[in-house]
Amino acid sequence: MLYVALVFLPLVLALSYSLTNKNLLSPQTAYVGFGNYRELLSDTVFKQAVKVTAIMTALIVVLPNALGLGIALMLRSETRLFAVLRTIFFVPIVLAGVVVSFIWQAMLTDSGVINSVLGTAGLGALQQGWLDTPNHAIGSIVAVATWQYVGFCAVVYLAALKAIPDELLEAAQVDGCVGFARFRRIIWPLVAPAVTINTVLLLITGFKLFDYVKIITNGGPGGATNNMALNIYSVGFTQNAFGLASAQAVVLFAIVAGLSTVAVLLLRRREVEV
Amino acid sequence: MTSPLWIGRYRSAFAVVVSAIFAAPLYLALVNVFKPADAIRAHPLALPLHDFTTANVAGAAQLSLVQHGLKTSLIITVGSLLLMVPLSAMAAYYVSRWDSKVARLLMLFFLFGLMLPPQVVLIPTTVILRHLHLMFTYWGVILNFAAYYLPFGVFVFSGFLRSVSRELDEAGAIDGASSLKIFWRIIFPLMRPATASVIVVTALWTWNDFLSPLIILGAAHGVTITTGIYLAIGTYSIDYGQEFGVMFLASLPVLALFLFLQRYFVSGLTGGATKG
Repeated sequence: MLYVALVFLPLVLALSYSLTNKNLLSPQTAYVGFGNYRELLSDTVFKQAVKVTAIMTALIVVLPNALGLGIALMLRSETRLFAVLRTIFFVPIVLAGVVVSFIWQAMLTDSGVINSVLGTAGLGALQQGWLDTPNHAIGSIVAVATWQYVGFCAVVYLAALKAIPDELLEAAQVDGCVGFARFRRIIWPLVAPAVTINTVLLLITGFKLFDYVKIITNGGPGGATNNMALNIYSVGFTQNAFGLASAQAVVLFAIVAGLSTVAVLLLRRREVEV
Repeated sequence: MTSPLWIGRYRSAFAVVVSAIFAAPLYLALVNVFKPADAIRAHPLALPLHDFTTANVAGAAQLSLVQHGLKTSLIITVGSLLLMVPLSAMAAYYVSRWDSKVARLLMLFFLFGLMLPPQVVLIPTTVILRHLHLMFTYWGVILNFAAYYLPFGVFVFSGFLRSVSRELDEAGAIDGASSLKIFWRIIFPLMRPATASVIVVTALWTWNDFLSPLIILGAAHGVTITTGIYLAIGTYSIDYGQEFGVMFLASLPVLALFLFLQRYFVSGLTGGATKG
């Protein structure tokens, strides 16, 4: 019941609000049909937000996934040292997005730690405004997300690697299947379910990314990091335009639901073929 | 697998270097908790050897935003868990034990909630909570969290239930126990590992969440520790050293929980994940 009242009902309401001009500040709410959606088509801020979301999500799906697999392969030995290192990679996951944002803000600002370290190391030429240009700002946000989620991906991959029987790897070694061939022919197919999980979770994470863009850049510079999640928040709760924001929420939902379904179906098929 | 010793050594060295680079932001956040503000600016990466201070933490603990935030976060986290854990366990029991079309549909319906971004349902949620006069209250946030994380609980519990023998249910039924009684007396106690995972992971998410308390509780009405940090650092621009003190206090509970219950974190977060 609770779930229906506070998750499902809101979803239905979001659909219905998106067809109205509901605004918290005006008492009158009228039905406007697909007016909000038409408005979105010519809304440059919204279109920019869709583009920003697409770029960030694409990078966030790929980077922590690939690096996480690399880290899992690197740290899979069962020695004490590696157990400690695995724990280090997992720590960022338990930190609040807000805390992670402020730690990285202290590093990324013009007078921040990264620039001062580069200066001290005699690499002053590499100093830059890490949040100043659109590309740098997007890159910085993606870097922060990668830092926080790579450990999670690694843990999922580690569990998958652990499930691969040693005999299988030894048999492969006897047959001369080592190095990259071993990875390509044995490990990669057998971690396929982990790839599915990580990809889908990162996809959803990418689309709902809010804390970093709100705190580190607040959508800037000039809307370069204003993703759909932040834009819905500003339109809905700063401008109080519930109707318009709901239309954006419906678009976001359609994209997330569509892409996760496609991702699951495509990646699952790969799992079955193995 | 055996590889030559020298490869093993290089491998360890390489792993340590990569981990050290990865851990740099954590190191930075930790050492600066114990340094005065001017030392942080001048030498952010130095260890607090001669200027070690606990003034940042003490100062942060004095801030009303932090005191209030820690208390509110605790209330909201515990409240959400008390509501969400039994409900999701019962829902999972229902959908995984009754082979009906309704149960299967319900399961799909829950799974679908797993991938819903919070921003999609937040606006209507505020409207509903306003109608119920629960907007800007602890209850509003608690209900929102309990509902939003319910699918996750259902997912983990129903995954675990697949390994619990149905014969137990049948034995209970033969003894004349109602299904509710069977659930609470027999099944729920057996699900302890799953319950631990759900509690640990959901506690982490509710403690760390920023968007929902920001909107539903509203900064003017109350702060959790996350919105408290945001206001303390973002709006009131406190002392640079205290910034690190505040973040330290906010992270301490989850870090402690994590270090002691690491096993449950990993199994909870990867719960359904590793089963595919």
